[in-house]
Amino acid sequence: MVKNLYIILVLVGLGFMFYTFADGFESADKLNPVAERYAKQGPDEVGAANLVTAVVVTYRGLDTLGEVTILFLSAAIVAFFLKVTYGEEEKRQTRSVSEIMQTAARLLTPAVFLLGIYVFINGHLTPGGGFQGGAIIASGLVLMLLAKPNMKVSHTLIHVVESISGLAFVFIGVLGILYAGGFLDNSLMGMGTLGSLLSAGVIPLIYIFVGLKVGAELSNIVAHLQESQNEA
Amino acid sequence: MENIGLENIALFSGLILSLVGLWGLLTQKNIIKMIVGFALLDTGIHLIMIAVGYVKNSTAPIIGEGVTKANAADVIADPIPQALVLTAIVIGLGITALMLAYAVKMHQKKKSLDINHYKDLKW
Amino acid sequence: MVGPIYIIAIALGLAFLLGFFKKLNANIAQTFMMAGVGAMSFISVQWLFGHLAGMVTETVTYTAGFKPPFSISLQMGAMEAGVTSMINIFGFLGGVYLWRKLKEMGLNAIIIYMVTLMGLNVIVLTRDLFNLFVFLEVSTIGIVGLILLERGVNTISSGFKYLVAGGVISSFMLIGTIMIYKYAGSLYINDIITSNIAATKGGMVALFLLLIAVILELKPFPANGWALDVYESANSGISAFLSAGFATAMLFVLYKLMPMFPIEWQAMVAVVGGITFIGANLLGIRQKNAQRLLGYSSAGQMGLLTAVIGLSSYLNEQFIFILVTILLGHYLAKAGLFWLAGIVKEKEINSWSLLRREPLLVVLFGVFILTLLGMPPFPSFFGKWELIMKLAAGGQTTWILAILIGSFLEAVYLFKWFGYVLKGENEGLPVLQIKPEKIISPVVFATVSVMAGYYAGSLLGETNFAFYIPLMFIAAIGLLEFLPAFVKNTFAIAGMGYLAYTTLPGLFETDLLRFIFMGIFILGGILTLFAGYYYKGKRQGFYPSALIMFAGLAGIIQAETLLQFFFSWELMTIGSYFLIIRGKRSMTHGFSYMLFSLAGAYAILAAFGMVDAQVGNMLSALGGVTSHATLIFALLAIGFMTKTATLGLHIWLPGAHAEAESDVSPMVSAILLKAGVFGLLLTFFGMGAESAGNSSILYVLGWLGAITALVGNLAASFQEDAKRLLAYSSIGQLGYILFAYAMATQLGWIGGFLYVINHFAFKAILFLTIGAVVLRVKTHNMYEMGGLIKRMPLAFIAALIGIIALSGVPPLSGFAGKWFFYNAVILKGWYFQGAVVFFAGVIAFLYSYRILQTVFLGQLKDEHRHVKEIPLTFLIPIYILVIGIMIFSMYTHWVLEPITQYLTAYFPSDPVHWDGAAATTSLGYWNGTWVMYIIGIMFVLILGWLLWLNAKATKVKQFNMVFSGERPFTPETTHMAHNMYAGYNKALGFITAPGITTFWNKVAEFVTDAAGFIRRIYTGNGQTYAFHIVAYIVIIYFMIF
Repeated sequence: MVKNLYIILVLVGLGFMFYTFADGFESADKLNPVAERYAKQGPDEVGAANLVTAVVVTYRGLDTLGEVTILFLSAAIVAFFLKVTYGEEEKRQTRSVSEIMQTAARLLTPAVFLLGIYVFINGHLTPGGGFQGGAIIASGLVLMLLAKPNMKVSHTLIHVVESISGLAFVFIGVLGILYAGGFLDNSLMGMGTLGSLLSAGVIPLIYIFVGLKVGAELSNIVAHLQESQNEA
Repeated sequence: MENIGLENIALFSGLILSLVGLWGLLTQKNIIKMIVGFALLDTGIHLIMIAVGYVKNSTAPIIGEGVTKANAADVIADPIPQALVLTAIVIGLGITALMLAYAVKMHQKKKSLDINHYKDLKW
Repeated sequence: MVGPIYIIAIALGLAFLLGFFKKLNANIAQTFMMAGVGAMSFISVQWLFGHLAGMVTETVTYTAGFKPPFSISLQMGAMEAGVTSMINIFGFLGGVYLWRKLKEMGLNAIIIYMVTLMGLNVIVLTRDLFNLFVFLEVSTIGIVGLILLERGVNTISSGFKYLVAGGVISSFMLIGTIMIYKYAGSLYINDIITSNIAATKGGMVALFLLLIAVILELKPFPANGWALDVYESANSGISAFLSAGFATAMLFVLYKLMPMFPIEWQAMVAVVGGITFIGANLLGIRQKNAQRLLGYSSAGQMGLLTAVIGLSSYLNEQFIFILVTILLGHYLAKAGLFWLAGIVKEKEINSWSLLRREPLLVVLFGVFILTLLGMPPFPSFFGKWELIMKLAAGGQTTWILAILIGSFLEAVYLFKWFGYVLKGENEGLPVLQIKPEKIISPVVFATVSVMAGYYAGSLLGETNFAFYIPLMFIAAIGLLEFLPAFVKNTFAIAGMGYLAYTTLPGLFETDLLRFIFMGIFILGGILTLFAGYYYKGKRQGFYPSALIMFAGLAGIIQAETLLQFFFSWELMTIGSYFLIIRGKRSMTHGFSYMLFSLAGAYAILAAFGMVDAQVGNMLSALGGVTSHATLIFALLAIGFMTKTATLGLHIWLPGAHAEAESDVSPMVSAILLKAGVFGLLLTFFGMGAESAGNSSILYVLGWLGAITALVGNLAASFQEDAKRLLAYSSIGQLGYILFAYAMATQLGWIGGFLYVINHFAFKAILFLTIGAVVLRVKTHNMYEMGGLIKRMPLAFIAALIGIIALSGVPPLSGFAGKWFFYNAVILKGWYFQGAVVFFAGVIAFLYSYRILQTVFLGQLKDEHRHVKEIPLTFLIPIYILVIGIMIFSMYTHWVLEPITQYLTAYFPSDPVHWDGAAATTSLGYWNGTWVMYIIGIMFVLILGWLLWLNAKATKVKQFNMVFSGERPFTPETTHMAHNMYAGYNKALGFITAPGITTFWNKVAEFVTDAAGFIRRIYTGNGQTYAFHIVAYIVIIYFMIF
């Protein structure tokens, strides 16, 4: 097809463009000044052992707020879009779920939830954090939904969790303006000792809320996508 | 090139993956396949981002084993791209979710997932 | 000052809070939302005022307590404050507009609306590249959500296309961003600007990807099909959001990021913008769907603004002014028009005649269309003016041409649309339902547009307050629309009288040329307005339009600077357009009038640009032009000739003048055409005929005038429609005038002045008389009239005198005109042209006779047996003019002698000698007073003799007559009226064949065909649109690398 030829042509052109990035690409020998400062001052300024977390939650906290906003928006739009009309109580005919699946889900779901919570609570210490933890929690929900396709998810609970954690995030941010150096300033609370659970200022707090929020929102999206299949 | 490092592989595969994703997005007529293409494009870009943040012979930017406050600046990889990629992943996820929601709704409206069937508006 | 960070905190805090109350009453939720948006507006507006008052300086807010580049910072400078104010105020009014819809769609919709708005704010404020990306995504996703306020399958599929396209664009943006980080080591925009990463190839490509992604978000032609679909199918409130809110923010992003890119790329940005401006507006011509049309226009405007950013190095200190005014014009107009689209609910633009059910909506529509086009007195007018001036100063002729072409194409579809609104058929269309909340926002924006126009003008320091007094007077009249016509008429005449009182004495002392034209404009205005007492009822829209035209006419006389002149010129064009289109079948004529006028105005604008670049902005400095003088001269001549309807540029006139209302025809014919003459005179006086180039142009103009006179007169002779006859006669008469001035000798110009005054008087008489007759007999066709002398003797006498003056028969001033004319031709030596003009003068007798014979003489038609004399309100101005023309004919030297003296300054040789009423040249002498006496005595003698003879005559009835020995048994029409000059038509008709009309039609056809062909690239397939985007990137990449 002629059209595919054009597409190939254009993609080859694009490949040329990209090749300038790959050509002679070499990793830096040392960190750039910004990253270097994060590495040197980060542990003291922010108190998080996980420097990525320090960047995500504090230095670039506004990005994270935006990120949370995007998830929030996506969830709201999906809910708004796929608003389920519970008019006819016609259950979707699904193939029966196997015994193994059901049992495993029953067994695993609490563990998955727990793992998610662990991941976001320890976000400032280990690889992980609010988003990762939230995603794990939501995957727990997916597991549940796979096991019980006709399960009804409590949207009210989801919304309450989502709203409280979102509000708390913004509230902490504003407190930062009032009592510390600026919006989302971490030094609102004491730094604690580097590497311990109760350290890194408000990061653990924020990450808990982010984790809850992300978990709630992803669950919300999944639940809506799932429920909308009931519609014609 | 005698020393092809991890970062080169990541970058290369990232670039190629994004081209492949773009190819899928531009040629597949099925909306779901287009979305898959987009997800590939996204993933490719995330790989590129990670590759950019790599510093030679460095380790993860977490203070703990082998990384102390004192030597952190010399041994860790750049934490910024890693933070960015986290954000980018979430954004990609949001967009993909929306695309899927649109796909569901479009299918409900016209019972078709062929992108060619949705061109009533033109010119 | 409340910091900008609170914009984010308030929006998000509220959004999360509202999520709490999923079951909350939507009214309460929405009130919260509006309060939040109100607070956001307050924050940005207070910063704006702070900046304007000089109370605050550029302020940077750091987040997380660290300075950039270590954390993300928000900058609130004057520009940021302005742009966020625009966005938030739009958000607030848009929220009001969407009140019902958002409520109906529920809490989620409300939240999405507010968060999207917040995202736009951060895009503007942030100084971090990645943060910009994140919040761009917030806004994009939010808009994709808002598209879903409508749930039709087309809307949903357009949303998907948008999502795919947006996803592809942001992917490239992300690659660009991360690569920039790799090369610059920072995401802080200020750091990137100083880091010079363009030195490496990779850094260059990274910057390119970022730039092209931002440009793509501005919907460049042709990679913008995805956005057009959304504009077309989304809720009109959301399309407004996209066009006024999102586009504004993205444009600011481009502005903000420009310093990052190599300086050589500015040219590329400008070209991309220019292509979009022309391309999108070209395709708009074929568009029938209102919202899609606005989408094209939106893309076009963004193209223009992109071009402005790309051209910033030529615009120097005026760059910001130009950018802001044009952006503001786009923002106000596009939001307003989309909002109106939501009120009308009719998709096709030709159904928008519905608006006429509610005059307020028509006014709003007019304000927005004119704002969009950059017409005075709206802000973008000043922006476009400065843009052209600065480009001219930079020698960027190609760019001036491109921008004017784009603007013209835009005007084509906007005025077509305007025509539908004003004149389209609105029978059978549904009832217009206006919800109160939907009308508030457009009203506010229209008001802001007017105020911003004033503010922009005063920023330029050019439009002094005096220029706005007439406009305020007009606005006051506009507010009195509910009053009956005669009251408004009195106000209007009083206003004109005041104008005369304040200006004429002063002008008489200082400048005779301006005094004569001002006299014609004001005197003519008062007299023609007087005829308006005939009309009963409210006569909605007439007075503001007429007064806008007269304000413009007075303005071009009083203008001292080029800008003031152009301002008034455009004002006059708008006013006359409104007047002309009032006629019953005037839609197409008004349209072609506007197109020719605008094209002419743009020619003038281009010429003014070149003048301004050389000698500054004073009108009087025209003579100092040294380089490109011939080009400037030609452009000005062409521009002004569109108004004088010289052959080739005349096709709009017959229809426009003939179909206009009875008292409008004399306004636009006797008075308005003189504006073009005045312009030509300014050019001739200012630039002189000395330089060789000008004299050859004048030679061409001379021929053009002669041929125009011939063709105009000939065509007039073949008309069946009385008003068309007069209209063609105007073309012919203006041909004389052009010819006279093109001679560029003192005698020629004296003749020219004489013709100007004369044509004003007799054309006003004839159009008023014939117009009034038409009002009585209810037809334009002359063969349906006849014998009206018996019913309307006064009208006949007036027409007779008008015709005598027209045809140059002694004793009236037309004869004086001819006398000077032939003197001038002989002395100049233009024998061939003179012969053509002479021949044209002979032909003038054909139509002069025809109009008397077919309308007033011959048999009275049965149906006219009881028709009354023409109304008194017409007779009074007609007879004032008749008396005036008599006096002028008798004492021509009262006017001509000062003119002769005035012209001595330009033509020192002075071949005319005045001695009382007698003028002497080397060829002979002429005395108006004596001619009048002699002819008068002869007339009285012959008339007395005829009356004496007539006393003995018997009246012949029709059955007394015998044809070839047979007597008719039934009454028959013996009045030869239809196709009266069939014989001549056979012999000479080919000259009047509508070749020029055909030519222009072919041009129009070619343009619309081109548009129809090119727009096929918008296949409607979302995948193709995504491909366009990628191809666009690759093609531009290979063009600049």
